[in-house]
Amino acid sequence: MDGEEPLPSYEGLAAAFAKAKAQKEKEESQGLKPTVGNAAAANKQGEVHFKAAHGIIVAFFSWILLLHVLGIYLFTSGFLLTRLVLDQKSECDVPPIDLISYTSGSSESGCWHPKTFDKAIVILIDALRYDFTVPFRPTAGEQPQHFHNALPVLYDTAVTQPQNAFLLPFIADPPTTTLQRLKGLTTGTLPTFVDAGSNFAGNAIDEDNLLAQLRNASKRIVHLGDDTWHALFPDYFEPNLTHAYDSFNVWDLHTVDNGVTEHIFPLMQPSNASKWDVIIGHYLGVDHAGHRYGPDHPAMTAKLNQMDETIRKMIANIDDDTLLVVMGDHGMDSKGDHGGESDDEIQAALWMYSKKGVFGRSSPANKIPPATAKERPVGQIDLVPTLSLLLGLPVPFNNLGTPIEEAFIGAQGEDYETLANVNRLVSAQIQRYQFEYALARGQDESTRASSLKLWTVANDGWDLLMRNGRASRDHQRSIYESFKAYQSETLSICRALWARFDVPRMLNGVTILVFTLITLGIYSRGLDGDRTELTPALLIRGAVGTLVGAGAGVGVTFAAPDLSRDHVVVFSTAVGSLLGVATAFWYIRRRLILPIPSSIWSWISIIFTLALSAGFAANSFTIWEDEILLHFLTTFGVLATLSSIRQKNNIDRALGCYHSILFIVLTRLASMSRLCREEQMPYCKSTYYASATSSTSATWQLAIPFAVALLLPSFIRSYYENTGNFQGSAITWLDIALRFGLLLSAAFWTLDAADDGDWYPGYGEVLKTTKVIIAQITLAIAVAFGYSTFTWAKPFLTIETKAREAVKPGEQIVADGGSSAITILGYSNVHGSRYAFLITMWFLAISLVQKPMGAGAIAVATWQIFSLLEIIDTNKLSDSPIGPIVLGLLGSFHFFKTGHQATIASVQWESAFIPLRTIKYPWTPVLIILNSFGAQILCAIAVPAVVLWKQPPKKRGLLGDVAKAVGTHLLFYAVINLATTMWAGHLRRHLMLYRIFSPRFMVGALVLLAVDFVAIFVAIVGTRMSFISVAEVFGW
Amino acid sequence: MATVVQEPARPRVPSAPIDILNTDLAKLYTHIHPVLLLSVYAFKFNSIVENPVTALSETLVAVGILQVVFSAICLPPTGGSATPLGDKRKPGEKKKGAPSPVASAVNGTVIPAFLALVLAIIAGIPILGVLLVLFGAPISTHWEHTALCAAHISFLTAIPLTYVHGVDGSTWREIVSLELPIDEVYGCLIGTMLGAWLGAVPIPLDWDREWQKWPITIVTGAYIGFAVGKSVGGTLLKGKTVLFG
Repeated sequence: MDGEEPLPSYEGLAAAFAKAKAQKEKEESQGLKPTVGNAAAANKQGEVHFKAAHGIIVAFFSWILLLHVLGIYLFTSGFLLTRLVLDQKSECDVPPIDLISYTSGSSESGCWHPKTFDKAIVILIDALRYDFTVPFRPTAGEQPQHFHNALPVLYDTAVTQPQNAFLLPFIADPPTTTLQRLKGLTTGTLPTFVDAGSNFAGNAIDEDNLLAQLRNASKRIVHLGDDTWHALFPDYFEPNLTHAYDSFNVWDLHTVDNGVTEHIFPLMQPSNASKWDVIIGHYLGVDHAGHRYGPDHPAMTAKLNQMDETIRKMIANIDDDTLLVVMGDHGMDSKGDHGGESDDEIQAALWMYSKKGVFGRSSPANKIPPATAKERPVGQIDLVPTLSLLLGLPVPFNNLGTPIEEAFIGAQGEDYETLANVNRLVSAQIQRYQFEYALARGQDESTRASSLKLWTVANDGWDLLMRNGRASRDHQRSIYESFKAYQSETLSICRALWARFDVPRMLNGVTILVFTLITLGIYSRGLDGDRTELTPALLIRGAVGTLVGAGAGVGVTFAAPDLSRDHVVVFSTAVGSLLGVATAFWYIRRRLILPIPSSIWSWISIIFTLALSAGFAANSFTIWEDEILLHFLTTFGVLATLSSIRQKNNIDRALGCYHSILFIVLTRLASMSRLCREEQMPYCKSTYYASATSSTSATWQLAIPFAVALLLPSFIRSYYENTGNFQGSAITWLDIALRFGLLLSAAFWTLDAADDGDWYPGYGEVLKTTKVIIAQITLAIAVAFGYSTFTWAKPFLTIETKAREAVKPGEQIVADGGSSAITILGYSNVHGSRYAFLITMWFLAISLVQKPMGAGAIAVATWQIFSLLEIIDTNKLSDSPIGPIVLGLLGSFHFFKTGHQATIASVQWESAFIPLRTIKYPWTPVLIILNSFGAQILCAIAVPAVVLWKQPPKKRGLLGDVAKAVGTHLLFYAVINLATTMWAGHLRRHLMLYRIFSPRFMVGALVLLAVDFVAIFVAIVGTRMSFISVAEVFGW
Repeated sequence: MATVVQEPARPRVPSAPIDILNTDLAKLYTHIHPVLLLSVYAFKFNSIVENPVTALSETLVAVGILQVVFSAICLPPTGGSATPLGDKRKPGEKKKGAPSPVASAVNGTVIPAFLALVLAIIAGIPILGVLLVLFGAPISTHWEHTALCAAHISFLTAIPLTYVHGVDGSTWREIVSLELPIDEVYGCLIGTMLGAWLGAVPIPLDWDREWQKWPITIVTGAYIGFAVGKSVGGTLLKGKTVLFG
């Protein structure tokens, strides 16, 4: 660069400033010599300077967080699938095609087709998996599980009274969450991914649907049970007769079920029969038993027996004109959870019953219900046309389902005329819908050419049949089959079509993430010197760019209203920000350095991060991420051992080796806690819960939190004692408060097990109340007591007079009296010990919201963090990227060790009810995040400790070091997030998208945002309190 | 991934890289040896995939013999004073009290070779076995597999190293902490370890191949790494040291 070029003003200033201060600092940083000049004023100035610099760093990282939010938002809005919702409704007197020998328009006799039933009772047993309903047929040596043979009524009636009942596998379209399923079961259309996350707050359905058609036909609908229905169908139900119950409290197995049963039987009495037309009863007990205990548990047997009894009673009470439908909305996996698309999750059961004797089978072989859900399954959307036509309603406009054969084939099993007729009607409605959809979306007909061809074939066949008059049964059957072929072709076209991605949004989202990553990368690894000097320029120019970009974006949306407003504004805001920061980088170009890895540590930091990221392109490496992280962490431990052996100083060598080996052993110990995802079978054995088919802890696991309470505070204490920092508030906290809090947390989980297992019958309510109070006290200790101590505690130091030769290396001599000396104990690690207090506080809070096994894993993680701090110190790596990167690996590793996987089914929803009995915003989502990403959060909080551990109190530039370390840590998660985002976008047509890549993308994005937030508002904000406390003793 | 630079200035006397013995046989066999070793492994590969425990045990015996023979023929034994096999005394030269050629061969070559084999078994296998478990090898099952994997890695690395460096504690500390200058023997260690490390990569892939099962990929990686490390360590990287930071 040209030497003549004038230096930017800040550099001249900085240079002069630095030079003037150099000597002074050198003296001051040695110890406690009084500052020259007006000490008080200088100190005050130092404090103001620190607070300003700190605030700017917080603002800068918040700005990075904003860019992450923008990028993730834009990508997500293009990636999560969308389907156009049409407003059209089917009408009773407008059949989709000319009717033959039937006059449409009367809901009394049936709109498009003569109706079969006047009334219906629809019972939805949440999570009724198909194999719960069929007899257990053991294959070689297999033992029945608790869910087997517990609900025989459906199968028995279908076998003994085939004209009155049939039982079929009922396949759900994933995602298998109740809200999505209710939409499918009432509209007959396919779900799109964008709704999967809205299970917390459902939104009303405005598409044409079964319930809207019932209401149009002036039918009175009564709803009992799960209140999700009211979110979807507000004001649809008879207010006096309807009773809704909270659906989310999965700990409660009986309130909803007892409520439904209590209200449904009085309504079935003849005296009340005239008050309603359709009853919807939604039982939740089976689903909750699954979530809480897993399917293979006595509680499931009891629940299914109860359902069996209830259905038998309904059969006895129902009148001749009423149709009884019992169905599941989805299944459950081997642990009782659901949400994904594995076979166990999508295979529900459907059973219809009526005393009219109108059901039939197309062949005698079909008389027995299928043994597995692989044979003769029907789709859940098929319920919509079936129920519509049976009740004489028009088929909802958006329906893609097909009429169920058993319901229309007649008792003799040969009424192909009716079957052909109803299939023609439904096909015609689908055809009408497809036409309107293509029109609204501006698609040309080539996308559905194959289905149009089938439509023509079926219609021609029908016309021929009409011209010939009477036709043979085989002919009718072939017509029926050709309409059915058209329907299934259309369905598969729609499935493919609605996997429609908005690629420009996805690309722009990725662009934002890429450039934010570069910015963060330069900030963390590509700047020379103290970051506190450079952050103001970056922040100001970046923020100005943000505002200009946002303004320009809004301007463009006014100039060109055709463009999607949010897309334009988000993208231009991000582009403005990134351009702004690019000019700032140009401005400080003399301070830029090329971050070429120069040591084995920077190399492996890069290799770990990039290898993991590249691996997410392959489903196998994504599935086995937990084992890969184990491999990497052990590799780090081995290298740290080798590096420690090379240390010249004997103490460093011994300590370094000890902590490195401890780190490796603890990693392997934690790796024994596993919760396997389905794809890892059969090479993985779950140990997180009592068994692979359970979601409760084994009794022995309850001892883990007690062991943690007894041991861990002592272990942490030893790290404080080594440097003489076990003083003052550290004693109260580590020996008393932390231990007491951990004991309370252990007590909580014991009480929880007592409540779960019903150890003390009759005391359930007492146990529930007690455990919630205990959990709240624990959180109060961790957060309220912890934060007040953390904010106001003095540094953990003490002053002692001791013999001159007894002074240890970590102690600072203040006054040397020859043979004796006044020394400060804990001087060498005043910053590290003071800040690390924050880690232990959050450890307590996170530990409470983990299951007993997870509490063990989090304790091991905390212990590993302290070992890592010692490794970093003894190997002099506080400036290396390896510390923050290993913390990233460690957090990701313990995510798996606390019983999580990158799948929707592994979310531990019940953790919301640890300190609360009902859902409360914002606490419920906060608790679930703390449970899910507790390990990453804990490790993010530990990042500043890497650069503060064992640093002298007055070392200059420590705040800049914190910013650098935090930036590096965020860089790790930003790379992972970018990689998972790009792979999910690139592999959007991959078979495993929803099973593997999409959930991993969501985890990556959520973790990045959570870690961003925690790193800024817990870690960086925490350093402020810790620095101020240290400076109050040692001055600024 | 290791940063390798030219001989750094260090306070203590750096250990010199080991040279292959200056005999025709040694110079020839050192090139034949890795080929031979890989050929034996490749020959047994199918039966290893079919029946890992039996086939790896059989291969282990062959590898042990080959490694001992390689050390004896090509490498200077620990202490460096003994006469290697195949070395001929000059005619007419006679020393009083000097050991007979046979005794010298026994003391200088056979004993270190035997010692190397014993140490590779009693120390190498347990240490490497524990290391494999720490890296994620199954704890409660597949013990024979893990032990055999450790044995193969141990034979590949520990036999020549012990033969050359003996059992001196400070030398071994340097060996473990990667402080020795790289040579043919040390290259074998680093290459084998890196190969075994990379051998873990194909295990999780869903290719459903028999050879993906434990511990075949690790052992295969170790053999390939051995050959690469030996040739690179003896040529390109000879005399350089690994630097950490």
